[in-house]
Amino acid sequence: MKVSMKGIVKSFGANNVLRQVDFSVEGGEICALLGENGAGKSTLMNILGGVLQPDEGTIELDGKKVSFHSPAQSLHAGIAFIHQELNLINDLRVYENMFIGREIRTPVGLINDQEERRQTEDLFRRLDIRIDPLSKVSLLDASYKQIVEIARALMMKASIIIMDEPTTSLTDPEIERVFDMLRTLKKQQVGVVFISHKLREVMEICDTYAVLRDGVLVSGGLVRDTSIPLISRDMVGHDVRTEPLEQNAGLGEEVLRLEDLTLEPYYRHISLQVRAGEVLGVTGLLGDGRSEVFRTVFGDMGKYQGQILIQGAPVRIRSTRQALKMGVAYMPRNRKENAIIKDMDILDNGTIVTLPRLTRMGLIRRRQQLKQFEAQRDHLQIKMGSPRDPIGSLSGGNQQKVVLAKWLMTHPRLLILDNPTQGVDVGAKEEIYDIILQLARSGVAVVVLSNEAQEIIRVCSRALVMYHGDVRAEIAGETMTEANIMRLATGG
Amino acid sequence: MSNKTMQNSSSGAHGGMPKSSGGSGFFRWLAARWQENPVYSTGAVLIVMVIIQTFALGFDYPSFADWFSGWSRNWINILRNNASVGIVALGMAFVIISGGIDLAVGSTLVAVGAVMMVLINGNVNGPLTALGITGVPAFILGILAALLMGCLIGYLNGFLIARSKVPAFIATLGTMKICRSVTQQFMQTVGVKVPREFTAIANTKIGGEIILPVFYWLIIAAILVVVARKTPFGRHVYAIGSNERAARLSGINVERVKALVYVLSGLLVAVAAVINVARIGSMDYANAGSGYEMDAIAAVVVGGTSMSGGKGSIVGTVLGMLIIAVMNNLLNLIGVPPFLREAFKGLIVIVAVLLQKKDKLA
Repeated sequence: MKVSMKGIVKSFGANNVLRQVDFSVEGGEICALLGENGAGKSTLMNILGGVLQPDEGTIELDGKKVSFHSPAQSLHAGIAFIHQELNLINDLRVYENMFIGREIRTPVGLINDQEERRQTEDLFRRLDIRIDPLSKVSLLDASYKQIVEIARALMMKASIIIMDEPTTSLTDPEIERVFDMLRTLKKQQVGVVFISHKLREVMEICDTYAVLRDGVLVSGGLVRDTSIPLISRDMVGHDVRTEPLEQNAGLGEEVLRLEDLTLEPYYRHISLQVRAGEVLGVTGLLGDGRSEVFRTVFGDMGKYQGQILIQGAPVRIRSTRQALKMGVAYMPRNRKENAIIKDMDILDNGTIVTLPRLTRMGLIRRRQQLKQFEAQRDHLQIKMGSPRDPIGSLSGGNQQKVVLAKWLMTHPRLLILDNPTQGVDVGAKEEIYDIILQLARSGVAVVVLSNEAQEIIRVCSRALVMYHGDVRAEIAGETMTEANIMRLATGG
Repeated sequence: MSNKTMQNSSSGAHGGMPKSSGGSGFFRWLAARWQENPVYSTGAVLIVMVIIQTFALGFDYPSFADWFSGWSRNWINILRNNASVGIVALGMAFVIISGGIDLAVGSTLVAVGAVMMVLINGNVNGPLTALGITGVPAFILGILAALLMGCLIGYLNGFLIARSKVPAFIATLGTMKICRSVTQQFMQTVGVKVPREFTAIANTKIGGEIILPVFYWLIIAAILVVVARKTPFGRHVYAIGSNERAARLSGINVERVKALVYVLSGLLVAVAAVINVARIGSMDYANAGSGYEMDAIAAVVVGGTSMSGGKGSIVGTVLGMLIIAVMNNLLNLIGVPPFLREAFKGLIVIVAVLLQKKDKLA
């Protein structure tokens, strides 16, 4: 089957999200759809998936004009959209999930479990999937869930599958597993649209690519005819830097020291120290325990064994409030779940940490609140309208800066940044790196937790690589290479 | 995700209507206003209802002065009859904004009222009377004890919910059962008489009308508007209701704030209990305060506060209470049988939530 979208135009209010975009994919092809956040990728695919309707333009299936008014219609035509947040029901078994909403019934009207199981087994055999159809979905790891979701799409006779950033929350071996699945799909003449930020994965798995920038298709073609730097340039519109940023050598006193910190089952025997003015990186794959180590330091994990010393003094950290008082700041990963308070405006989001310090006689001093926030806004160059606008009106990068702002207002001694550039586009990424280095120069001890080796190499002077709750190695200078980090992070 | 934010910003910029909503123009307009700030639409609905109510009351009076005095007496009645539950609703608003619920308010009111009545007992066998404390000092002690006990019951709820992680619905359902049943059992054999002087707290006439409960309600509402909007505690309640995880990771002591919310609710219930006892001069342990939890929740919801927490307002809650009260009065004026009135209350709550639901699409 071949899908082609021609001259797609879509706008929300005055905002032109897609301008005359052509896009096509056919069976047996894995096509990468690339672009920064807000470039229009999701909108384009939501149109194909029947979630949104285009203002102009046509969609053709094998040359026949179609229009989708709901996801159900699009699915019926053979197009399945697998969203980033998976749509599986954790408490049900795999085969039950395969047929959810379209259960096979016995003549009496009860669910025909036997038939559902048989069909699931058949399909899994055909696709070489080694998952027990009887196991509960909650017991599967993220990649197998992804695979179940793909299998379900095939069960519904999908011949085009759209995958929205399928590898974001996966570890390397898990990614490989999903890729194997994609290769199988390709052999079965299924077409795949692969939305991703990770260019290396695109080079590995995709046949063709299309780059969107500001709602316009800027380039496309065969993946083997292009390269990562070329694609990145198309995405951003200018060259992207990858060399390490200049580090400042002048280190101050020790700010944080961990001695033999252990919290089973997350991590064990963690010892490290961070000095003022330093940017320490901690990296590894998902589930390596790095977030848990530093959430412990921030008082978010409860009881632990071992010793935490802040500025040389041993402390017991039991709550986030206490950590905050000691000058520890923690910018969590997964901004939407952990950092953004969606019902509050930009100003309140940006000052929620320091509110108790901005009061007189128990009442918040609005002018003071605004003044302090605006100072941070200017310093971090947050692009925003009124401070009273909803936080959701900002782009990912600017939301991240608001979160950063609320912590900088506390004048932290130790700043822990967990995946600081997650869901942030390339331009804003560079700005955040600059801010990190600037903070370090001003004497803050910074810890950057990241699963992107390039990010670690770019901003950190020294880094620890973790694997399943253990620190594998410390790397710096010569040993700080992507290959080395990958090897250590995968347990090699 | 990107397109959602764009929809948001565009509808904000043009003050436009949500494209997805159906229905006629007026309802679309109402739903759109509701999304921006529910207080405006709640206010608009209230004004419309007051106009209808005014007509229902009629103009069949010899002079304007007569009409006005009839009209305002009707209003004073409405306000006075809803003052205690209105105060309870204010606490409920904080609870619901924080993402919880407090089902125990009605029976807390009975428990607190009973304890206070025992302390201020006009009969000679009261515990304070036995100590030689009577009159105003006894009243003050009784009221303080009531307020303290309200706080304690609230703290018990808060502790169960915030520390022991019992779902709010279950924890307060439990205390609701306990409070009323224990009170009924103990008060079975205790005869209490509320001294006449105590009723002055609510029944002192100002300008010839019993209006004090209304003042209490408005003063407390005014204070709580400030608490909600201008204190860190207030902002923290909203933050926790919107995203508890993010609130904790912002260094907010989530357990403490949550517990305090229920303490506040208990405290306001105690105030309502004092007013009720002073108004009526007695208490029916089986029925007093029953249905308060539902009436308070209804007022909060009609006032535009989201049941999922994080959104809502105190002003809205007062307006929500008034809408329900005016509706009751109106149904009475046009002669709807009492049994049917509850059905209308149910209807208005459902309509309010239907209007809110649109909010999820944006």
